[in-house]
Order: sequence, then structure tokens, then C-alpha cells
Amino acid sequence: MRKVVLFALLLVLSVVAFSRVTITMTAGAVGKELEVLYAQLDRFMKANPDIKVSVMPMPNSSTERHDLYVTYLASGEKEPTVLMLDVIWPAEFAPYLEDLSADKSYFELDKFLPGTVKAATVGGKIVAIPWFTDAGLLYYRKDLLEKYGFKNPPKTWDELVKIAKTITAKEKNIVGFVWQGARYEGLVCDFMEYLISFGGDVLDDAGNVIINSPAAVKALQFMVDLIYKEKISPQAVTTYMEEEARRKFQNGEAVFMRNWPYAWSLLNNPKESKVAGKVGVAPLPAGPSGKSAATLGGWMLGINKNATEEEKAAAKKLVKFLTSYDEQLYKAINAGQNPTMMDVYKNPELKKAAPFMVELYGMFINAAPRPRTAKYSEISDVIQKYTHAALTQQMSPQKAIEEMAKELNKVLGK
Amino acid sequence: MRIKTKETVVAWWMILPAIIVISVIAFFPLFKTFYDSFYEFGLRPDIQRKFVGVKNYIDLFKDERFIAALNNTVFFTIVSVALETVFGLIIALIVNQPFRFRGMVRAAMLIPWAIPTAISSQMWKWMFNDQGGIMTKLLETLHVIEPGVPVLGTPKTAMWAIITVDVWKTTPFMALLILAGLQLIPEELYEAARIDGANLWQRFTKITLPMLRSTIAVALIFRTLDALRVFDVVFIMTRGSVNTETLAVYNRVLLMDRAFTGSWFGYGSSLSVVIFILISIFAIIYIKSLKLKLD
Repeated sequence: MRKVVLFALLLVLSVVAFSRVTITMTAGAVGKELEVLYAQLDRFMKANPDIKVSVMPMPNSSTERHDLYVTYLASGEKEPTVLMLDVIWPAEFAPYLEDLSADKSYFELDKFLPGTVKAATVGGKIVAIPWFTDAGLLYYRKDLLEKYGFKNPPKTWDELVKIAKTITAKEKNIVGFVWQGARYEGLVCDFMEYLISFGGDVLDDAGNVIINSPAAVKALQFMVDLIYKEKISPQAVTTYMEEEARRKFQNGEAVFMRNWPYAWSLLNNPKESKVAGKVGVAPLPAGPSGKSAATLGGWMLGINKNATEEEKAAAKKLVKFLTSYDEQLYKAINAGQNPTMMDVYKNPELKKAAPFMVELYGMFINAAPRPRTAKYSEISDVIQKYTHAALTQQMSPQKAIEEMAKELNKVLGK
Repeated sequence: MRIKTKETVVAWWMILPAIIVISVIAFFPLFKTFYDSFYEFGLRPDIQRKFVGVKNYIDLFKDERFIAALNNTVFFTIVSVALETVFGLIIALIVNQPFRFRGMVRAAMLIPWAIPTAISSQMWKWMFNDQGGIMTKLLETLHVIEPGVPVLGTPKTAMWAIITVDVWKTTPFMALLILAGLQLIPEELYEAARIDGANLWQRFTKITLPMLRSTIAVALIFRTLDALRVFDVVFIMTRGSVNTETLAVYNRVLLMDRAFTGSWFGYGSSLSVVIFILISIFAIIYIKSLKLKLD
């Protein structure tokens, strides 16, 4: 009898052990996000002992992540189960993503920022759940601005140039303004901000190319002038991505920086940052059009269509967990990544940890999206190429914009 | 006669596995790429496959970006392979001489070659960084570049930085191959030459170089083939910006960035075929001009 019980117990145990579903998820490692994710997954696996989640860390550059996804998805692999998707990808990857429209209420999508849900909707189908949202911000050295009698951060680009020049003329070993000028996706984000604040755009609502405008030429000329005429940005910004700019600013070597919200908690960590407590955050300055624009960034979680039903069910649980109120709050406080759920912004803890998130709420919900088309990768490649050619003085801004328009028209077949 | 036929049959059976393996891993992909290059298609499931003949090739030679990438690739190949051969030869001649710690030096010399290119490229990228990069400091001190000019963000310097990394990395490979060739030269030849009164230079040009010819030819073929498809160094250091885009880096844009956006896969395949033809041309030139016997 005892033997039978023992055998039965063994059987039950082994069934439990083997019924554990393993799913994989891709993740980034910008700033603290990977550390934060590991802590979240520990909690998730404790609450769901039948699911094991293994993490596939991805390169920080969005372009390289894109390449990996192309390889995974085109091969029809069932891994990774959960994909971390850039806000610009859903249209392109939609044929490979699980349709989540039926689970709209399970994920409580009506509580999410409408802009982020729109970005996750392709042809009426919801293919991903917004995880965190991003918008370009202006970081500035509060202490230095005060020292030279500037009470407020700059409201316009001209003001930014003036303040940067005043401070760099008197302070040593400091440049005026750092941003993302390397030839990669981040350059498109920066370019879009100047473009829109100068009154231009890439595509109109009907999808026609409208980049070839005096406003666009002026915007690009302004970016070039920041480096070569006003000399407030080092020439090396043409090789900077997010982390290069952050390191420069964090070492106290720049007055202004354009970056995403993730930098906030890192800049204020006194162990690593020389500028902890001396940093202010503001919306990006306005251009001659009077408008200020921040590019909408952020990432979503999608589920691989090729996964098995069992894996998909586990993946949905994981996505639901990671995008829940508590976890979004935890992520916002610890990784500095903006929540996509509206109610989280009302939380007093968030206000204490990252006051700018709450103060700039209006800006986050109005962030400007990049062109929304399934051909986005091609469009981005063209914009990167010609913007960078102008920034490295291989082409005049006028010529760069003309060529850009010509090639964009070719890409879109018009 | 009967025995010979039987032997032939056995021989065929013995090499069959090798033939199968080579067909699967070399000939099949090659054939598939040729085949694909005559079609217009993408990887997105809803894109139709269409036969277009040689249209991809015609478009390719009208594509300014392709022509620029072709020029960059050939420039990179000629300069880097030439430098690697000269440095490799010099280093091989030095470490072929007996001196103390020769074994250690020979082993240490291989370190750059042993580091994966992705890692060494990233390492060099940091050294060329404007924020405290040692190469940037060095070049500024030597007045090669003006202060504040980013090496990897300037058209004039970026390609040279990439060539530097490639030369640093692959010179040991050249040196090793040439060293092996040097050790095959019989000592008697030098002895006889010395007795006949040949000086050092004469011994080098009349014995060493001719005897090294086939070794150098093999080394050149290896290196040239590698250099013509260079991808990792360029992609990591500059991503092909500031006039450093090579054919393989452009092909990544076509095959990866645009895999799901449109019908670019056939076009990318035709670019691969062009790289293949280019490599073949170089190989034939080497084999003919260095009178290498392949059989």
C-alpha cells in the first residue's frame, strides 16, 4: 500500500514538473530595465509556478533588434513567445503576431493611453499591448542655469542656443547641447522633433510625401548649425546614440541633453552620476512655428503567432501581469519608463520618484508619432541616410531634403 | 582493368558523403541565390513571387548607393590586403629568426586574430570615441586630426579607422601563413647562395620571395575573399555612415530592414551574386598572375 502511495505521489510530482510551460521573452537592457524585468519575472513565476519564463536579452540598438526579429519570424520559429516591439513595428510585423482584439477587456485596454493603443492597432486588429511609452525630453543643468541667472528652461530653440552659448563661454570642459546624431533609428526621432517644431512633416494624413518644404530645410539647417555655426553641439554628436549622450551629460560635460525618460533615474543616482540632484526636465523647445514636438517612442509586447496554444495562454498571462497597474508603477519608479496606463500617473509614489512624468503628462499623451506605414523601415532608412549626410556636411540641407523627398516618393511608389 | 573499375567505384562511394555535404552547404545555397536573383519577392507572406529576368541586375548598376558601396568595398579590399601582406611578411621574417622568447612572441602575435571581430571592433570603437578614447587622444596629440573632430563621424577618417582595425586584426593571420611558408624553404639554398657570394637582398629577392610565391598567393586569396565581403567591422564601427558602406552592409539593409516591407529579396540576392562574381574575378587574377597550380 505504501509503495502504491509513493508511486502515485511520484507520478503526480513528475506530471506537475513536466506540465510546466516554458516561454521566452525578448528584453532590452537600456539603463536599468533588464534588472527591473528580472525582479518582475521572479514575482510572476512565484505567482504562477506552472510557467517558466526565460529572457533573451537583445541589443540596445533598435535596428539590430529588428534584424533579429526578421530572422526569428521569417523562419516560422515559435520562439521568442513574447516579443518586445518598438512603437514603429506593429504594421510591419503584424502578419506574424497573434491577434489580441478578442482579449481587449482582459488587458483592460480602455484604461490605456489612447495614442499607445492606436499605435498597436493595425488594420483594426490589436496586435500588441503597450508596455511603456516614451517621448523626447529636454534635460538641463538646473544649477548652471541658476548660476547664470536663467530662471526657466528655454521655451524656444533660439533661447536654448543663447543659454548654451552664455554658459559654455564661461564654464570649462562643457559643451552646450548633446543629442542623438548617429545614423540609426534614434536620429529619425530627433529629426522629427525639429521638423515638426519648424512646421514641417514627412507624410500628410493621406500618406503623401510632404517633406520637401522650406520648413524642413530650415529645420535640418538648424540641426547642422548647432554643430558648425553655433558650435554648441560637439561634432561627435554625429556618432552619438542615447547612451553616449547620457554619459556625456552624466559626467557634467553638457548643459542640455535631448533624451528619453529612462535617463532620469540614472542621472539622479549619486553613485554613478556627477550631476545627481542638479538636473531639470522640460518639454523640448518650440520652433518658429510656435509648436514644440516630442517624438512618440515606447515599446509594446506582442505574442508570436507560431507559438503553441498552451504557450500563447501563458504568454497572455505574462503580458497581462507586466502591463498591470502595480507592475507599471514599479517599472516607472525603478526603470524610469513611462506607464501606458492612465491611472498610474495619478499615483503619489510616482509623483515623488519621477515628478516630471506627472507634470509633463500632457506632453506624453500628445507626443508626435513617426510615419505610420508598413514600409516604415524603408522610410526610416532614407531619412537616416540624408539627415546624416547633412549633419556630416556631405550634402547641403537643401539638397538632402530634395533627395530625401525623391527617394521617399520612390519607396512609397508615388 | 576490372580491379581498377572496382577501385573507382569504391572511391566514388568513399567520397560520396563529402560530395553530399558540399552540395548541401555550398552548392545548394549558391544555386538558390542565383535562382532567387531573377525574381522579385519579399518575405512577407502576402507578397507574390514574380519572375523578372535580369531586371534586378540592370537596376543594381543604376543604383547609386550600390555603385558607392562597390567603390568602398574595392578600396577597402585593396588597401587593407596590401598593408596586411607587407606587414605580415615583415613580421614573419622577424619571428623566423632565432631569438630569445621566440615561442612566446609567436603565440602573443596571434592574439588580435583570436579575438572575435565583433568584440575587437567594439573595443576599437571605444578607442576612437570622443569621450576619452585613447586613439582620439593619440591622433589629436600627433595633430593628425583637429580636436573635437570625431574619427568615426568624418568621411575622410572613418574608412581609414576601419582599415586600421582590419589590418590590426588580420596581419597575424598573414604572418602565420607566410611563416609556415618560410619554414618550408630548405636551408641549403641559402647556404649555396652565401657560398656563391649573394648578399642579403639578393638572397631575399632570388630565394625567399620566389619560394614564398604560392604561400602568398593562397594567403592573398583568403584575405581578399574575406575583405570583399567585409561586414562586421564596418557595421559595428560606423553602420555604413559617412561613406563607409560596403556591399555586405548595403545588402543587410536590403535583406533585413526591408525583408517584410517590400519586394527586395531578389534584388538583395542579385547583389550577393555580384559579390560572388567579384570574388571569382579576384581569385582568377591571383591564380593567373602568381602562376599558382591548383591541381
